[in-house]
This record gives sequence, structure tokens and C-alpha cells, in this order.
Amino acid sequence: MSLRDWRPRGPYPPAPSPVRGGGGDGWPAPLPRALGRGVPGRVLPDFTLYAALVRAQVSAQLQYRGSFVVQAVGQFLATFVDFITLVFLFQRFPSIAGWTLGEVAFLYGLGGLAFGISDLLCGGFDGLSKMIRLGTFDRVLTRPVGTFAQVLAGDVQIRRLGRIVQGMVTLGLAVSWVEVAWTAPKVAVLVSAVVAGVVIFTAIWVIGAAITFWTVETSEVTNVFTYGGEALVSYPMPIYAEGLRRFFTFVVPLVFVSYLPALYILEKADPLGLPPVLQLCSPIVAVVFLLVARFCWALGVRHYQGTGS
Amino acid sequence: MRLYWELARYGFRRTAIYRSAALSGAITNTFFGFLRAYTFIALFQTRGEVGGYVLADALAFTFITQGMAALIALWAWWPIAETVQTGQVASDLSRPYDYQFAWLAQDYGRALFQLVARSVPPFVVGMIAFGITVPTDPLIWLAIIPSIVLAVAVSFGWRFILNLTTFWWIDQRGIANTSMLVATLFSGFLVPLAMWPDGVREVVYALPFASMVAIPIDVFLGKLQGVDLVAALALQAFWAVVLLALGRLVLSAALHKLVVQGG
Repeated sequence: MSLRDWRPRGPYPPAPSPVRGGGGDGWPAPLPRALGRGVPGRVLPDFTLYAALVRAQVSAQLQYRGSFVVQAVGQFLATFVDFITLVFLFQRFPSIAGWTLGEVAFLYGLGGLAFGISDLLCGGFDGLSKMIRLGTFDRVLTRPVGTFAQVLAGDVQIRRLGRIVQGMVTLGLAVSWVEVAWTAPKVAVLVSAVVAGVVIFTAIWVIGAAITFWTVETSEVTNVFTYGGEALVSYPMPIYAEGLRRFFTFVVPLVFVSYLPALYILEKADPLGLPPVLQLCSPIVAVVFLLVARFCWALGVRHYQGTGS
Repeated sequence: MRLYWELARYGFRRTAIYRSAALSGAITNTFFGFLRAYTFIALFQTRGEVGGYVLADALAFTFITQGMAALIALWAWWPIAETVQTGQVASDLSRPYDYQFAWLAQDYGRALFQLVARSVPPFVVGMIAFGITVPTDPLIWLAIIPSIVLAVAVSFGWRFILNLTTFWWIDQRGIANTSMLVATLFSGFLVPLAMWPDGVREVVYALPFASMVAIPIDVFLGKLQGVDLVAALALQAFWAVVLLALGRLVLSAALHKLVVQGG
């Protein structure tokens, strides 16, 4: 990278102008003043920056409204295919491991919604490999804000809303199919399960990205835990072999995304015999798992040396 | 002929470069195979047989489909669209070969590599983990080869047309999403067509997508015998010819539209 490349085009320093920023003169829109004093790792400036970066991306993507609508609908339908599969299967089979169509749809919607939101938020982590290869991650390091928030804000594609809507529709259908005696604690468990699920999937994206600091290439094996994880949590846990179940309980805590909260909300017995109190523990597990992910991320950033191009 | 042979070899080598991608892809395919296998195991505890499929068939179905996704490039294959976007297509079109057959030859090379790298490994893992078996009837082995060759041709014919839409619509993501949805659903990739609702099944079976996945699998599982087998292969051949011919029509329409800048 030569010095010339990082200098903005045009006069430097630019002439002060009231329309600077967002005016098509090659300069980014000015960031909130507080950011100038941003200290790496501090929460508040990171968050302000995150919001500003996301806003800029969203408005950029909304410029192509037709393209956005087509893609969002495409995402909705593409993920809806799996749900159609589920419905087809239940035309032929009465239940799976004692769960009816509505109950499985509940798992499916809960997992899909949580995954959809994390997918919307975490595109930047998915693209980290490219940033490392192109050397643009160096730029991230030179800025006076945390690397985590910058990468998190790196690629927010609003077309992924389609996936989120799909999760909500499925969850809504499921709730209308199964008789749930709703109580305040159940609503709280449902809401916290969605948030916890988002955090757990986010932590997986982060750990997957942190590994790329060593491997450079995105390990497609991350897909096993992200997309594969979404598929896994769509069905009741007892159908899986014991080794797989243990792994996704104690190592990667996907069991907390949908299965355990669903047991509580649908008042189902757990043939696995896990302590019932775990059904309420999704948020705690999610926070711990995210801390582990942040630690991996910090290790990765420290290990990063650039690709030398 | 020799030229197309070389192009097929080139297609093979070009795909084989991405060895680590093939490996991690095979791992992902296998993992999804496991998830789907456990689903079928749990489902078949409630019923012994559905639409002529028993559990062993469903397990084999699972690992074959996971392997076939890459073989027929069910989800993502846009090299022609990329040449349209970069302008490379102009020089490709002026080369002394048949444009469509040149790509078809390369695609067979690609498919052969994927067969070895992405189709066989998940199946072998499935054999070890779930005891699925390979057919013993030599007739099935005799029929499965043309069936797969035709499945690749049908899927290529379809993908060729999709790629050419880039001439009209430079951003192919909308088309990509829609086609992925249609192909995944109607090819019988997720649920064996035999388990589909009556009435819908017969229609879907006749569509070209069933010729890409469902028919080769039913051939492999020995679900098609005698006249049915011949009819199924004929249906695949029919769609291969129709889609390839349609692709040539679309190509000539695209060439009328193509304006090459500069020189």
C-alpha cells in the first residue's frame, strides 16, 4: 500500500465547505463529535460509531429499492423452503420424537428468528477473511475505535430482513397451531430466548472470524456451526446422537437457543433429563459464551500480522 | 472433439485447485447429512414405510443428495455471468468453438471433480456411520452412469440459461435467489418426491428439476425398474435436449443485444 492510496482524492486538506460530507465530494459524512475522542474498547463511542456506520449502509442500500425488495423477498422464500419441507414431512409422519408439527415449527421459528437477526448483524465477521487478504484490516487497526465494533458494522445487509421476517412468520404460525397458556414468565422466556439466541449465534460468527486471523481463509467449517446450527436447533434435541447433543450443550451451547426455552414455554417433558432450571438460563449462557468469543477475538487481533501485500 | 476433451480437463483442474474449499465443503455436506439422517431416523419410528421408502432408503437418500448438491451445482454457479460482467465474454464468443458446448465440456470436468471430492466422501461416511449400502444389482450401476451424465446436462442447461440473463439483468442476485429456491424445492432435494402429497408429486416429477436430483436417486435406490427406468432416462434426455436448445435460443437473442465497446 503506497502513501498515495490512503490520502483522499482531491485537495488535501480539503477546503472547508458547508456541504462537505455526503455531498458526493468523496468525503464521508462527518461522524459525531464525541467520536474524535474515542478510545479503543470504550463502549459508548463504539456504539455511536456502530450506529453511524450502519445508518450509512442502510441508506446506501435503500438507494436501490427494487433490488432490495427482490432480494429480501428472495431471502424470505429461500429460507421458507425448509419450512415447506417440514410441513410436507408432517403430512406423512404424525410426529417426531413426540413433537407435533406446531411444536417443531415453534423450535424452527425461534431458531430462525435468532439466526436471522445475528446473520443481519454479523455479515462483517463473515467477510473478515477478505479484509485480511486485501489488507483493509490494517485500516481498521489504525482507527481510534475498537476493532470489534468496526468489523461488526462492516457489512450490514438489510436484504437479510427477509430471513428475519420468515422466522417471525413461522413463529407466529407455530403459536397459532399449538395451545400455549401464555403467562408473563413465558413471554419473558420467549423474548430472552430470542435475544440469547442472537448472542449465541453472534458469538459463533465471532469465534469463526477470530480463527481466520490464523488461517486467513474463511474456514467453511464455520458454516457447520452457523447455518448448520440453525438447522440443528430446528428439531428437538432428543433426535440427535448423544455425542452430538453433548457437544451442542457443553461446547457450543446451541441447546439454549430453542430447545430448552421451548420446553418451558410449551410445558413439555424433557427425556434428556436436563435440570429444569437450565430452561431459564439461556441469557446467562449467552453472555458467558459471548465473553469467550470476545476473548478469542482479542487473541486473534493480537496475533494478526497482516498478509504482507 | 479433442478441443472439448481438453476443455473438460481444464474444467476439472480449475475446480481441483480449490482443494481446501472442496474439503470444507465436503465436511459441511456431511454434517448436514447427519442432521437430516437423525431427523429421518426419528420420523421413521412412527411409521415403517412412506411412499415406498423405508428408513434405509431415506438415509441413503440423505447422503446422496448432500453429495449431489455440488455435483450438479444446485446452488451457486455463475462463471458465465462473471464473464459478462467483466467483458471477458466478448473474447470467449469469438473463439473457434461452439460456445455452449465449450462450457458444457468444462462443466463435465467440474462435475467429475465434484463427484470424487464432494459426492463420494459423504456417502462413504454415511456407509460407516449409518450402515447405508450400495446397490448390488449390476443393472443399477449400468443405469446410474447415464442418469448422472444426463442430470449434469439438464442442470447445466438450466444454469446456462440463468447465466445468460445477465445480458439483460446485470445484477443476478434476485435470479440467483429465486432459482435456488425453485431448484431446491422441485428437484426433490429436501424430501424424496415419493413422500410429496399425491397430485403435486406427479407434476413435479415431470419438471426438469426432478431430472437433476430425484430421478438419479431413484435409479440408485432401485425404485425404478424395467419400463419405468427407461422412461425416466428418456425424460432426463428430453429435458437435457430441450434446455440446451432453449439455451441456444437465449444465447442468440443475447448476441443481438451484445455491444462490444472498444477494440
